[in-house]
Amino acid sequence: MSHPQVTDTAAVDLTGPRAQLLLALADDELVTGHRAAYWTGIAPSLEEDLAFSTIAQDELNHADVWFQVLLGDEVADVRAGVDALAFGREPDAYRHAIVCERPPRDFADTLARHWCYDRFDAIRLTALTDSSDAAIAAVATKLTHEERYHLEHADHWFRRLAAGGDVARGHLEAALRAVLPEALGLFEPLVDEDRTVAEGLLPVPHAELRRRWSEVVATMLDEVGLGELAPGSRDAPPADAGGGRDGRHSADFTDDVWPEMTGLYRAHPGARW
Amino acid sequence: MTSVPAAVEETAVRRAVADVPDPELPPVTVGMLGMVHAVAVSDEGVVDVELLPTFSGCPATEMIERDVVAAVRAVEGVREVRVRFRFEPPWTPDRIDATGRERLREFGIAPPGGPTGAPPPDGRPTLPLALGPSSDARPCPFCGSTETSRDSAFGPTPCRDLRFCAVCQQPFEAFKTLRP
Repeated sequence: MSHPQVTDTAAVDLTGPRAQLLLALADDELVTGHRAAYWTGIAPSLEEDLAFSTIAQDELNHADVWFQVLLGDEVADVRAGVDALAFGREPDAYRHAIVCERPPRDFADTLARHWCYDRFDAIRLTALTDSSDAAIAAVATKLTHEERYHLEHADHWFRRLAAGGDVARGHLEAALRAVLPEALGLFEPLVDEDRTVAEGLLPVPHAELRRRWSEVVATMLDEVGLGELAPGSRDAPPADAGGGRDGRHSADFTDDVWPEMTGLYRAHPGARW
Repeated sequence: MTSVPAAVEETAVRRAVADVPDPELPPVTVGMLGMVHAVAVSDEGVVDVELLPTFSGCPATEMIERDVVAAVRAVEGVREVRVRFRFEPPWTPDRIDATGRERLREFGIAPPGGPTGAPPPDGRPTLPLALGPSSDARPCPFCGSTETSRDSAFGPTPCRDLRFCAVCQQPFEAFKTLRP
C-alpha cells in the first residue's frame, strides 16, 4: 500500500470547509508564533525572554499539530507535508487574521495583542472541544491545557500594566486602543463558514465567538477602569485589518513575515534538520 | 530450508517501549511518565505503538519515536515498528508513576500533585517579575520545604516552569500541571 507523498500543497485539497477551518487555526498560531519569536534574546527581562520564546515554540508547534490533522494519517512523509503547508503556500493562501501579522512594535503593543489573541484563542479552543470531528476535538482539548499558561501570562501583564504608573498604564491604553479594533478581524467568518458550522466542525459561528470574547474583554477592561475601550457589538475591524480569513493580507505579511518565514524553504525545498 | 519466524514476546516489546528514556530527562522513562497508551503485536511481527505526548509541541517527541523504534526492533522476531502519537486521552501529570515522580524530584524538578497551600515567601525580597504564590504550590525538591513560590510560568522547556525555595534559597523547576 502506498501513501501519497505530500511535497507541495497541490496534493492536498485546501478548499473544503474542514481544510479552511484548520488553515485558520494553524495560520493564526503560525504567524503569532513567528512574531513572538522576535523577543528571543531582546525581551526586557530574562523571564520575558523565556516566556515569549516558549510561547513562540508552543504556537509554532500548535500550528504543526493542526497541519497534521489536516493532512490526516494517510500521508507518507508527515514532516514534508507539514513543511509544504506551513511554508509552501503563496501569501494569499494563508488564512490568519491580520492582527496576528502586525509587527511587535514596543513591548506594551506586544502584550496588548497577546492578551486580545489569547483571550480569543481560549474561547475558540473551548468551543472546538465539542467539534463533530474527533481529531479536532481531541487536539483542542489537549491545547486548552497548554494555552492556560499563555492566558495566565497575558492576564498577568494586562492587570500589572493597568495598575502601574502613568507610563505603564499610558502605554497599555494606547496599545489597546490600536489593537482592540484590529482584533475584531479574528472573528470574520471562514470561507464557507455556514457549512463548517452546519457540519458541527466549528460548533458555533465566529459571530458567537465574538460575543463571548467581547463579554470577557469588556468585563476585564471595566475592572481596570478602561471600560470605554471595549469594542461595540456593531464595530467592524478597520478596513486595512480585515480580510485575513479570505487571504487578503497587509504588507506586514506579504513583505515582512512571509518572505522571512518561508525564505529557507523556498531556497532549499525539502531541507531537513 | 526456511526458518519459522520466532513468535514475538509481547511482554518483551512492552518492556522495550517502557524503558526508553526521556531524552531531556534521562533518569525518567516514557513508561514512568505514563506516555504509553497501547502496544499491539501482530503474528507477522509488526508492532504498533501508540504514545501520548506530554506536550503537543515537545521537541523530544521525534527523538522518542526514533528511540522507541530502535528499542522495539532489537526485540527478537520484530519485523516492523510503527509509532503513532495521539491526543485522546490527553496526557496529564497524574499518569506519572511513583518512581517517575521520585526520579523527577532527584533531578531537581518538582513533580505535580504534591501538597498544596504553601504560605507566601517570607523575608525574601520579591523579584520585580515574580508571579507570587502559585495555584499549584510545590514542595522544594532539594529540602522539601513548602515555602516556595513560582517565579515564572515559563522555563527551559515547554513542560517546566520556574520556582524558588524561600528556605534553602534554591531556584528549582516544576513540571507543569497541564490542566484546563
